[in-house]
Amino acid sequence: MESLLQLLSGFETALTWWNILYCLIGVSLGMLVGVLPGLGPTAGTAVLLPITFGMEPVSAIIMLSGIYYGAMYGGTITSVLINTPGEAASVITCLDGYPLAKQGRAGTALGVAGIGSFIGGTVSILGLAFIGPPVAKIALNFGPPEFFALMVLGLTLVVGLMGKSLIKGMMASVFGLTLAMVGTDSLTGVARFAFGQQNLVNGFDFVTVAMGLFGLSEILTNAESNVKAEKMPKVKGLLPRREERGPTLAAIGRGTGLGFLIGLLPGSNSVIPALMSYSLEKKLAKDPSRFGKGAVEGVAGPETANNAYCGGALIPLFTLGIPSSPTIAVLLGAFIMHGLTPGPTLFQTNGNFVWAVIASMFVGNFLLLIMNLPLAGVWAKIATIPTKLLFPIILIISVLGVYSVNNSLWDVGVMLAFGIIGYFLKKGNIPLAPIVLTFVLGKLMEDSLLQSLTIFHGNFWAIFLRPISGTLLSIAIAALIVSLITGIKKKRSPYLDGDVEM
Amino acid sequence: MKKLILSLLLISLVALTACGNGGSQETSSSKESKAKGKSNFPNKPITLIVSFEAGGGTDTGARTLMPYVEKELGVPITVVNKPGAGGWVGWSELARAKPDGYTIGYINTPNLITGYVNPSFKRKENLDSFELIANHVTDVGAIAVRKDDDRFKDINDLVELAKKKQLTTTSTGVGSDDHFAAVKMNKNLGTKFEAVHTKGFGENLSNILGGHVDVMFANVGEVVKPQEEGQLKVLAVMLPERSPLLPDVPTLKEAGMGDISSASARGIAVPKGMDKENLDILRAAFEKGIKNAKHQEKMEDMGLLVDFRKGDDYTNMLKDEEANVNNLKELLGW
Repeated sequence: MESLLQLLSGFETALTWWNILYCLIGVSLGMLVGVLPGLGPTAGTAVLLPITFGMEPVSAIIMLSGIYYGAMYGGTITSVLINTPGEAASVITCLDGYPLAKQGRAGTALGVAGIGSFIGGTVSILGLAFIGPPVAKIALNFGPPEFFALMVLGLTLVVGLMGKSLIKGMMASVFGLTLAMVGTDSLTGVARFAFGQQNLVNGFDFVTVAMGLFGLSEILTNAESNVKAEKMPKVKGLLPRREERGPTLAAIGRGTGLGFLIGLLPGSNSVIPALMSYSLEKKLAKDPSRFGKGAVEGVAGPETANNAYCGGALIPLFTLGIPSSPTIAVLLGAFIMHGLTPGPTLFQTNGNFVWAVIASMFVGNFLLLIMNLPLAGVWAKIATIPTKLLFPIILIISVLGVYSVNNSLWDVGVMLAFGIIGYFLKKGNIPLAPIVLTFVLGKLMEDSLLQSLTIFHGNFWAIFLRPISGTLLSIAIAALIVSLITGIKKKRSPYLDGDVEM
Repeated sequence: MKKLILSLLLISLVALTACGNGGSQETSSSKESKAKGKSNFPNKPITLIVSFEAGGGTDTGARTLMPYVEKELGVPITVVNKPGAGGWVGWSELARAKPDGYTIGYINTPNLITGYVNPSFKRKENLDSFELIANHVTDVGAIAVRKDDDRFKDINDLVELAKKKQLTTTSTGVGSDDHFAAVKMNKNLGTKFEAVHTKGFGENLSNILGGHVDVMFANVGEVVKPQEEGQLKVLAVMLPERSPLLPDVPTLKEAGMGDISSASARGIAVPKGMDKENLDILRAAFEKGIKNAKHQEKMEDMGLLVDFRKGDDYTNMLKDEEANVNNLKELLGW
């Protein structure tokens, strides 16, 4: 009750004209950096940070956090329309968002993503406001061993994304893991698979690889088919069909929970909840074969999860002063520059300030919703532009976007190379989803394993002895065994010609 | 509805350009006053390479300082982030840039030095590839533990226990100053610290607060706030003198542990071979900018201690660090 009153007084500050304006600027810029492939919220907030020096601290933080959660809305748009993720968290949205757009249902994909993002964002901010401090304490129990176990569990989900052929799925997974090996070994500092190339010492950048694999390869495959003035499907409504509404809402609900929980863990990123939500939705769906061909839940779940992640990830910052991702580290810098210290006493010492920022996030999410729903129809029309005009534009935007991240031509080359690799993989019917999944999880899994082994002085079995990590690992092993058994059973069944698993 | 959205977007754009214009007016006025000098350097925008990600300590420090240096030089300075390879993506580019003074960059210890001492990277560039302008910030090493960790009352308790038993320490990566500090202690005092490498301070703080790692090795700038918040207890700082930001915390030397120092220094450099006259213009401008009281105040608010050094003073600091790293090569298996 007390928190509620404070929240209401926070709205008093957040709803002044100036703060609404700054909130609007923040979320619009966030949308923009989200839409531009390559440019993400970290760069956006960092570049704007110096501009906020002369501003009131409340307005400054309201604007910067607006960029942070606004970007999650923007990233969806390019994933759905042109199969090129605007930022990392939206990579998984390509899998079903783009097929939906091809069927003329881009409006539905964007509409559902907008609504899901709003629900996920708002609920996780409620969580931040009312249960932040106690959950943050519990989340501290999650150390490197627990994180490792979670990554192993995430990796077992890859089985669900394998596609028709187990062997081809395995090839894709191993390819992704191999890519994750490139770069400096975090325990010894030795460069692996760098071949004397300076730019490879830090490994591959996830967004760059994903833009090549998904966006560019799509252009290549389409360009080879005879591009006649093919009649583009008409844009249909923003809302899912009646029979899709139930599952979509359920996906949004699960995405919210998943995103919020993973947001609490330092060292995670917004890609993980999106990947896990997608795999989970596919597992739970009555007919998993629809996934990858335009399942609305495949967009709703991940898009909700990455927005819910944002609110969750602010909890360690607000209550413990822990920046759990690079963008949040920039926000932490902004707090400190304006003379505020995030930490256990923040709510007491600067209560008015915190509640105003939290209130502004409700305002910002609402602004994003009213910006996104009507705009979804407008954006969706882009999908009706003839490909011969659209493709060169996509190519230019992608190259510019990738270049702008690190100002490096190398990155552009990497994207082009992965575009070509993606093209051949598509030709060979090798699924692309396992590559990005194992690539993201593989890196984190290796780092957390090495950290755990240092902590346990080399004793691997100690990971099983900690309650949380032991439980997670056991679930992972059980899940693997179950899916192996069902896989073998399905093989024997004459009715199913392997068409069930995508 | 469409019109409304469009106009809202326009408004926000206008507001932003208004914010940005504030700075450029001031720079144009100081340009006129500079026109009296002989050399017309600089007469176009300067690019400043920051070899770490936007939003990190080096980046925020650089972006805080640049407006003051811009005022002195009369041209805009664009901060460009070139992260990767522990900073060496940016540094290789800086070393190979045209030495005309329009490409300058931040160099950081110990990463700059460990990057070429570590044989596995096979780098050709080293300290001699650069001409130094000035040191900007020195972030001193600090040792801290969780506030309610009652195994250690002070630094002596910690070192005694660490001699008997393996203790884990935080580190922001192989070859980082945090890692080196622990290795130095192992070498000089016979402690058994073992570093758990992560990607950054955030993960390290949560590993300490959650009790997953025993001891935090970090920088003063990072531990001041958590100590005020009652999360951490800082046991020692690793410089011959106490830090003004933590006046109550003893140095390792005071605690009788000998001369063990550790710090991360960030300064500005240009590629070798730059014209002497123009180099002096840059040096003078940075000296004035760094010594500006307002700038120092802002940096201190962020927990960063401005440590201006130029000429031989700065060169010797880097040479000492190089000798230090070479001494530890063995322990790191290089």
